[in-house]
Formats: sequence, structure tokens, C-alpha cells
Amino acid sequence: MLKILIPTLMLIPTTWLIPKKWLWTTTTSQSLIIALISLLWLKWDSEIGWSSSNIYLATDPLSTPLLILTCWLLPLMILASQNHISPEPINRQRSYITLLILLQFFLILAFSATEMIMFYIMFEATLIPTLIIITRWGNQTERLNAGTYFLFYTLTGSLPLLVALLLLQKDLGSLSMLTMQFTKPMTFISWSDKIWWAGCLLAFLVKMPLYGIHLWLPKAHVEAPIAGSMVLAAVLLKLGGYGMMRITSLLDPLTKELSYPFIVMALWGIIMTGSICLRQTDLKSLIAYSSVSHMGLVVAGILTQTPWGFTGAIILMIAHGLVSSALFCLANTNYERTHNRTLLLTRGMQIILPLMTTWWFMANLANLALPPIPNLMGELFIIVSTFNWSYWTILLTGLGTLITASYSLYMFLMTQRGPTPTHIITLYPSHSREHLLMALHLLPILMLMSKPELVWGWCYC
Amino acid sequence: MWSAWRGITETIPSLTIRLDPSRLSALSRFPRTASGTRAYSSFFQDLEAQLEAMRRKAAKAMPGSDWTPVELTPGLPPEHADIVIVGGGVVGWSVAYWLKKKERIRGGVRVLVVEKDPTYSQASTVLSAGGIRQQFSLPENVHLSLASADFMRNINEHLGVLNEDPVDLQFNHSGYLFLASEKGAGVMEENYKIQRDAGAKVTLLSQTKVKEKFPWLNTDGVALASYGLENEGWFDPWSLLNAFRRKALSMGVYQCFGEVTGFRYSSHSMPINDGDRRAFSRIRFVNVRMPNSLEYQPVECGIVVNTAGASSGKVAELAGIGLGPKDTLAAVPVPVEPRKRYVYVINCPDGPGLDTPFMIDYSGVYCRREGLGGNYIAGLSPEEEEEPDTRDLEVDYNFFQDRVWPLLAHRIPAFECAKVTSAWAGYYDYNTFDQNGILGLHPLVNNMYFATGFSGHGLQQSPAVGRALAELILDGSFRTLDLSALGFMRLYHQQPVLEKNIV
Repeated sequence: MLKILIPTLMLIPTTWLIPKKWLWTTTTSQSLIIALISLLWLKWDSEIGWSSSNIYLATDPLSTPLLILTCWLLPLMILASQNHISPEPINRQRSYITLLILLQFFLILAFSATEMIMFYIMFEATLIPTLIIITRWGNQTERLNAGTYFLFYTLTGSLPLLVALLLLQKDLGSLSMLTMQFTKPMTFISWSDKIWWAGCLLAFLVKMPLYGIHLWLPKAHVEAPIAGSMVLAAVLLKLGGYGMMRITSLLDPLTKELSYPFIVMALWGIIMTGSICLRQTDLKSLIAYSSVSHMGLVVAGILTQTPWGFTGAIILMIAHGLVSSALFCLANTNYERTHNRTLLLTRGMQIILPLMTTWWFMANLANLALPPIPNLMGELFIIVSTFNWSYWTILLTGLGTLITASYSLYMFLMTQRGPTPTHIITLYPSHSREHLLMALHLLPILMLMSKPELVWGWCYC
Repeated sequence: MWSAWRGITETIPSLTIRLDPSRLSALSRFPRTASGTRAYSSFFQDLEAQLEAMRRKAAKAMPGSDWTPVELTPGLPPEHADIVIVGGGVVGWSVAYWLKKKERIRGGVRVLVVEKDPTYSQASTVLSAGGIRQQFSLPENVHLSLASADFMRNINEHLGVLNEDPVDLQFNHSGYLFLASEKGAGVMEENYKIQRDAGAKVTLLSQTKVKEKFPWLNTDGVALASYGLENEGWFDPWSLLNAFRRKALSMGVYQCFGEVTGFRYSSHSMPINDGDRRAFSRIRFVNVRMPNSLEYQPVECGIVVNTAGASSGKVAELAGIGLGPKDTLAAVPVPVEPRKRYVYVINCPDGPGLDTPFMIDYSGVYCRREGLGGNYIAGLSPEEEEEPDTRDLEVDYNFFQDRVWPLLAHRIPAFECAKVTSAWAGYYDYNTFDQNGILGLHPLVNNMYFATGFSGHGLQQSPAVGRALAELILDGSFRTLDLSALGFMRLYHQQPVLEKNIV
């Protein structure tokens, strides 16, 4: 664990001491090396247990894929931000990279925490660098509104979580996840127990987000700069899913009845947000709503509390993280050239940037869950597990899959095909950096096709 | 003993006096002031006043009030807009309206119209004589005017806003009457053929027919006349501008009053087909300066539409158009400059009646009826050498006396006793190259569109021009009318598209 944490912390002196000419190269390569070292975590000594060298930080098959995703994302974020941050003064560039590194650090601590309170503190701590990135480096006036929504939705959801965790600590004596899995099932009889159950889950549902409390997400994703959008879509949403998966082992008999409305909201949200995607005029907003749609599926999978549900949730989280981040990077390449995100004005790009069309095509196919990409595997597992929970869900999930396919294709056709407006004919061609960024996003997806057991979590079936 | 009791009863009143609340010791701190009120009441009044101020401040910060911790200038444009239209005249608002009409989904494009002068005191639109005709020699001009006339006849279908008054353009369909001498009759016949082919309802009249139709006209020297039967006449330009503006604002166009003082653009050079490199640039930000202030807002934009009318040339220069090395494409400026034209209002009680068309003589003098009180509007385009000074809009009445009146009185004898009641001057956005509009994208500045340089017929073509530009931007190419002949490249290739019927 320290072999990852110390280099990550040392990235901060790197950014502040490296001369200006080498800043981006050095930070990218150092974070890439950290990402490659993090792959070592994939070697689990025991199939379902924790591997750790100390009692505070440990990894298990649930947190490992998310940790590797987090570490993998930092070099990608730095690659993506290079162009739009470089006009700024050098110290501001350094501050930006420092914020990204701090966010990375908190995320690693969050995913590898063994104690629920430490997880909670890191969960909250990730809000601060993200808020600073959105409100300081976002592009438009609405970013202040977006930051406020983001901060207050998450804080309002997580205050009950703090109270619930403190109550739990009083009852159990310890909130270490290592021992939580062995506690006896608790008896829940009163109304306050039900409220405690809701308090445990609310923070994670807001973070996922669940449809109904998802309003912060389109705002935050759209107004954030590219690195902010990438980390929000890829990792911060998964913090919610991870937290839910950890805490549901304690909430057991209550969840069977109390999760009913949340599963229904999540499934309904898939269809609603999918339909909203078809009516969006702003490209980033479209991708943000598609994130809500996929995460609705994940919420439904986790709340069914079956091994297949959990497995599907983890696979979909990892695959969606990579694909959604790839889509945001593609939208950013368009934005950097034309300075507007309106779908009506940046169309027919295939004629102008044909190589980018390949990446658009692959990312959109992955988004609509084309077999054999892991997105499909995750979606199928979740659909099957919700079908098992209730036969009627197949209507909602089936329709949701259909709508997902239609808006992904709509996104592709609107941006790439069709008549090219005359004002975007002379755009500068794609940089190798952009191609590298897209390759680094989509290559892990393709490699996961051959060994999906890596991301199946501890419900290895 | 009784004396002791009596002593007590004597002391009791003094005790009661001492216990009287109005004389309690606390109050001794607040002696009565000269006005009779106690000082303690002013202490409470002060306290009340302070609490009231605090309450007022807190109420201001509640949601629903417009107090902000950071003072914002009112009227500042948004920091980001997809399409920025420079110039809020009739062409600019027409483009804004058509862009919103074609956006297909609500909020599809964010359009901002930037206008320098909220009073429109020097705008060409509102100072125009307001005529509309199809009698041009360029087919594109005829098509544009026809489409615009059709738009204006059905104006309430297009620009009607729910719950608001219907639009009344006061469109007088009295037609135009062009008079030609022997020399010009041949050209007039050719033009007539072009106009009829393009669909205009125009007819040719011989000298006798003219005399029959308009007995008040002196037909000496008139060999042929061309009279528009339909879709020609004049209307109120201010109503058209306001109709476009009202409709566009109701569709969600942002409006800002400010002056465009600069563009921030990025350029990079790319090789073109024969190997040499050109510098293509892309406007990233439009700097809009607030009126009467030094404050400016850089508006990030995707597309800029230059409809600044008489100042289009200067706005284009801000983007670097015309400032390149000699004999290159970058050195071709937008040749639009303001030219002052006078319009005189004359009153003649015995003048021509209601059927007066917009008469244009071969000498260049024009005249039309204005209202029903015997008023007429007349004017003349000066020669190149006697172009008036464009620094202000002062009217030269001697011009009327020396140049306009003789020609006018010769043509319409009733005007010999006409009196000038008032006059005004306005600018033509005069295209010095070929006096026809410039419509389309600039070849080197990749996101600047032009719709300017109409040299006196911009108002009448504005609805169709707006539609054409919106098609260019949103559909990629012209759909209804092909106006590629009016593109920018003709300025570079030195191929003027001349109009033989300039008024």
C-alpha cells in the first residue's frame, strides 16, 4: 500500500519543483508508473478475503478494481488537461495538478480504508478538491451554481451517514470492515432502525446518483473542466457504489422490504434519463445523463443483494468509468476546437477528423453495451438479477437498454455524420496526445474482455 | 404613642413616594430632555433603528431578492454564447429570429445580439425610407425581395407573439415606378426580362401609358417605365425591427447593449492545395464594452455574425480582415463604409394622390407619398464627388434646393410649390466594391459570417437574408435561395456583381 501512497504524495513536490518545461511530461510519467505498480494489487492471496499489511488500509477483490481505475485515471486526467491549462501562469498549472493529486490521494485512501469512519472522512474529503476544480477552472458562470448543488447535495446526504455510523460504532464497538463481515445480524424492530437504515444508504444514493436526487450531476459534469468531468464520471460516482456494497452486509433483513422504492426509482430513472438524453442540446449534458442512466442500473443491482447483482454492479462500474471518461475526453476535443458544446453546431466531424471518428465509434459502441465489451456483461448480470427479484423489471430494463442504444447512436450520428457546417472546415487536426488518451481509455476495456474475472469482485461465480 | 403612629402615617406617604416607579433610581439615568421625552426612549429608538436596519439587510439577502455579495454590472452579456450577432439592426435581429426558428429543440443554440446604441439614433434601419421593390437586375436580389415581401405580407404568422398586439407594418402596396430615358430603355427591358423570369410582378409602360396612369407626372424624356404591380411599396422599418426583436426575445435570444471593441482569436497556418500556407484564424472571444464605461466582457463564442451595417468594415478590421500583407486574401478588407443620404419631407397640398407609387426618375431623384396629409418623402443619391461628410447626421438643406428640387419639380410639376417641412439623414452601409450585399463565411476567419453591405436595400431584403444566413449556419449550405453569388470571394477575385438599378 505504501508503495503506491508514497509515490502519490511525492507527486506533489514533483509538480512544485520541476522546471516548467518538464512539468507535464514528468507528472504524466510518474502517475503512469504509479498506475502500473497498482496493477500488482490484482494478485489476491485469498479469493474472498482482504490482503493487507496493516490494520488501516487493505484491499480486497471489491476495492482492487476501483483502486486500479483511480490510479489509472490520474495520468489520463493530466494528459487531457494539458492543452487547456497551458495558457495559464505556471503556478496555477501546478496548483491544478496538485488538486488532482490530492484528489487521487483521498480516493486511494477511501477505497482502501478498512474503517468505516476513515472511509467517511475520505468520502467527504474528496469533495473539496473537486469543488475547487469545478468552481475555479470551470468555463461558465453556471459553475458556481453547479459547485453549490454538488457540495450541498452530497453533504446533505452524508450527514445522516455520519450519525448512522456513530450509532453503529456505539452498538458494535468497532467499525472496521475486517470484522464487520462477521457480526451477528442485528435485530431491527423500531421505526428509528428503519430511519437508521435510510441514513446509512442515503449518502451513497445521492452520490451514485439515484434518479430523483440526481440534479447535481448534470450541472457538475457539464461545468467542470475536462479533468473534473473525467474524475467525477469515472471514480467519484463509484465511491457511492462501493460504500453501498460495504454497508449492505450490515443492513440485511431490512433491505428486503425497504429497498423496494429505491430499486423502482433506479429502474425508472434509467428510462427517464435515457429519454432526456435524446432531447439534449449540449453534448456534455448528454454524456452526464447517460452516466445517471448507467448508475441507475448499478443501484438496482446492488440493492437486489444477490451475488450476480453485486458482480454486475462492479463490472458495470469499472467499464462505465472508462467509457464515460472516454466520451468526456472526446467531447472535450471538440470543445477545444470549436468552443461550443452545442450538438447543432459541431456536426459532421467525420469529414474533418476521420481518425477521431474511430474513437467516437468505439466509445459509443461501448456505451451502448455492445457484446463482448464488459459493459454488456455488467448490464446482463444486473438485468438477470433484477429479473430474479421481480419478473416485471424486465420491461423497464429492456426498454432502458433500447433507449441506451438509441441515444448512443444518436450521439454518434449527430457529431460525426450528416452535413458538415462550413464554419468548422479548418479545424486543426487531432493531436497524438488525444489519440493516446483515447487509446489508454479503451485499451483496458478491450483487455478486460479477455479476463473479466479480475473485476468480478468477491462474489466470484 | 399616638404621636409615634402619626409619625408612621406621615412617613408612609414619603415611603410611597420613594417607591413610586416613575422615580426609581434606574430612571434617574435618563433625565427628561427639553422636549419632554426621556433619553431612555431615544436609546430604545436607536436600538429599534439598528434592529430594523439589520432586519432589512437580512431580508435583502433572502432568496428572491437580488442582493448579491459581489456587485454585478447590470446589462452585462453572458460569458458564453454560441452565436454572437454584432449589430442589432433589422438584419441582425432577422438572423437571430431565424436561428431560433431553425434550432429544432428549445435552447438548441444560445444567440446573443450586441447593439451599440439602445436608442438606434444612428442606425440605418430606422432612418431608412422603407421601400421594398423587386426591380433589380441581379436575380438573387429579386428573389430576396420577393421572399421578404411574402414574409412581410404574412408577418403575423411569422412574428406574432401570443398575448401581444399584432404586428402592423403599414405596408403600402403602391409599387415602384422606375422611369427610363431613351438611353436607359434597353437596360430597363433587359432588367424587366430578368425580373419576370424570377417571378416579380412587374410591367413595362410606354410613355403614353404612363401619362394615362399618372396624369400628374410630366413624361418629357421618359421613353419607358417599369411599374411594380404586387409586393412593392413601402413600410415602417421601425415596426419591422421591433417585430423581429420582440419575437426573437420571446424565443430566448439574449440582448446586450454594448460596443464590440475587439476580438480574441487564435490563428494557425495550414497548407492549402497548392502547397503554400495560409493563416486561418478562429475567433474565440468577443470583447463587448459596456456603454459609458471602461468595463468590458469577453464573450466566449462559437460563431460571430457581422451585421454591423455601416460599421461592418471596422468590425471586420478588429478581426484582422484586411490587415494582411499586400495582394493576399488576408489583405482584402470588407469594403463597407457609411455613406450619408438625406431624406427630405415635403408638403404639397395639391400633390399627387393616393395612387402615387415610389417614383424613381432616371436622373436619380426619388419620391414617395408619406401618410395621408399631403406629405411626401424625396431624395437623391449624390454623385461620388459630392458625397457628404459622414461624421455626423446633419442635414444639408442646400442640397435639396440645388439638386433635388429642380429635378423633382421638373418631373412632378405640382411640386413646384412644395415646402420642405423636415428632413433627416441616415447612413447607407455602402459596399464600395459593387453595392450589393456580402453574405457568407469569410474564407480565412473561420467563424465569422457576414450579412452586410446592402447599400440601401438591406431593410427590404432582411427577412430573406436572415433565413439564408441561418441556413448557412445551421444547415451548412443555402437551402431555399442560392446566394453563393453574394459570397466574400468575389471581393478577392475582383468579380463585381453589379446592380444596374442603384438608387
